[in-house]
Amino acid sequence: MHPACRVRREGFGLLFYDARGPRLLFAETGNLVPADFFATVRGSDEFPEGTSEQQKTVLRKFFGQLLQKGFLREQ
Amino acid sequence: MSNKYVEKGLTAPVNLTWEVSLACNLRCTTCLSSSGEPAHGELTTAEALELVEQVHQAGVFQINFGGGEPFMRPDFEEILAACHDRGIMTCISTNGTLIDAERVERLCKPKGLVAIQVSMDGARAETCDAVRGRGVFDRAVEAIKLLAGTPIPTSINTVLTRHNAEEIPAMYQLARALGVSLRVSRFRPSGRGADNWEQLRPTPTQLISFSHWLAESGDVRTGDSFFSLTSQERQGLGLNLCGAAKLTCCVGPTGNMYPCAFLQTERFKAGSLREQTFLEIWDSSAIYESFRSLRIHSCEDCQRFDQCHGGCPAVAWHLKNDLNGGDPECLERCVTSIAETRKEAAAA
Repeated sequence: MHPACRVRREGFGLLFYDARGPRLLFAETGNLVPADFFATVRGSDEFPEGTSEQQKTVLRKFFGQLLQKGFLREQ
Repeated sequence: MSNKYVEKGLTAPVNLTWEVSLACNLRCTTCLSSSGEPAHGELTTAEALELVEQVHQAGVFQINFGGGEPFMRPDFEEILAACHDRGIMTCISTNGTLIDAERVERLCKPKGLVAIQVSMDGARAETCDAVRGRGVFDRAVEAIKLLAGTPIPTSINTVLTRHNAEEIPAMYQLARALGVSLRVSRFRPSGRGADNWEQLRPTPTQLISFSHWLAESGDVRTGDSFFSLTSQERQGLGLNLCGAAKLTCCVGPTGNMYPCAFLQTERFKAGSLREQTFLEIWDSSAIYESFRSLRIHSCEDCQRFDQCHGGCPAVAWHLKNDLNGGDPECLERCVTSIAETRKEAAAA
């Protein structure tokens, strides 16, 4: 995650915050991915344990959007 | 902005405005909280540190520190450090007069966790000092120069008034020349701002001009305080509704919680941190619930309703004693006011 960004769990899924705007992203992810998944550096094809192939497809797209919007960054 | 999630209520504020002390070494004519002497019974260091822990546990992303002048509190840097140790991002609103090289060096240590806004109310010393006191312009510029040479995101924060409205583009140029950004805040009739409201409130013509200028100045921040004037060009850059008790809230110097910094009165007290926890107040305060369910029905027929949802309830309260009355200084009302003035002039 970009150092200026934070994430937490909300009823609808995840709430992302970017202090640079500031701006918010409301992600309707349900229980697909926990907030602490973003607390450490992850591999580009790494997913929470127990994620199905179908869910991985959804998450790949979601992670790509987070990258595009600047919430995540590649190292 | 996904209003449906905001209106349902979040588990905690996104950010918190914390007025850590009423103590201030200046007596600005626009001060929202009439700062000067410290309030009786301000939170102790232990209480402040306990609040930081509660805010962290709640998941609040950022604390915006104001006052008063935060650096007047001898333990302020200790409170800041407690925030940074927990990864809480902070933004400090300061008058800049207590910032020196040593303090800047200390503030640089928590990398990426602190931002600073230095208040300046004019592009010329004469304009700024008329609001903030003699010599303050030069001292604020010195503070900004110290900060501009560091990685700390720094901005000039200007309260838009009748006397500096024409200087806002020059403020933008000054900020650029100093290597920082510009943030413009709305003047509201609370604290000493209420005492000086009629002399300092921008005219409807100035507000409309400012709205047009803002539309062309995407890199100028407003802290969402001008959403009632937001043009189409700035849609998506911020809120389109009041975030009080939905996305943000305010803690006053003695630990009382309020919907926002402009409503720090007994009428709007949501609770005391000396009696309840931060989350108990956030979750169960009747005042907060009333703000979450507040609908400005009188504005629903307005063509700009989706852009501001009735504007700032605090201004409506201070000027009309009516939270539901709609923002008296919204773009539509400015346009109407000018048209009526012209009609009256023509009739006369």
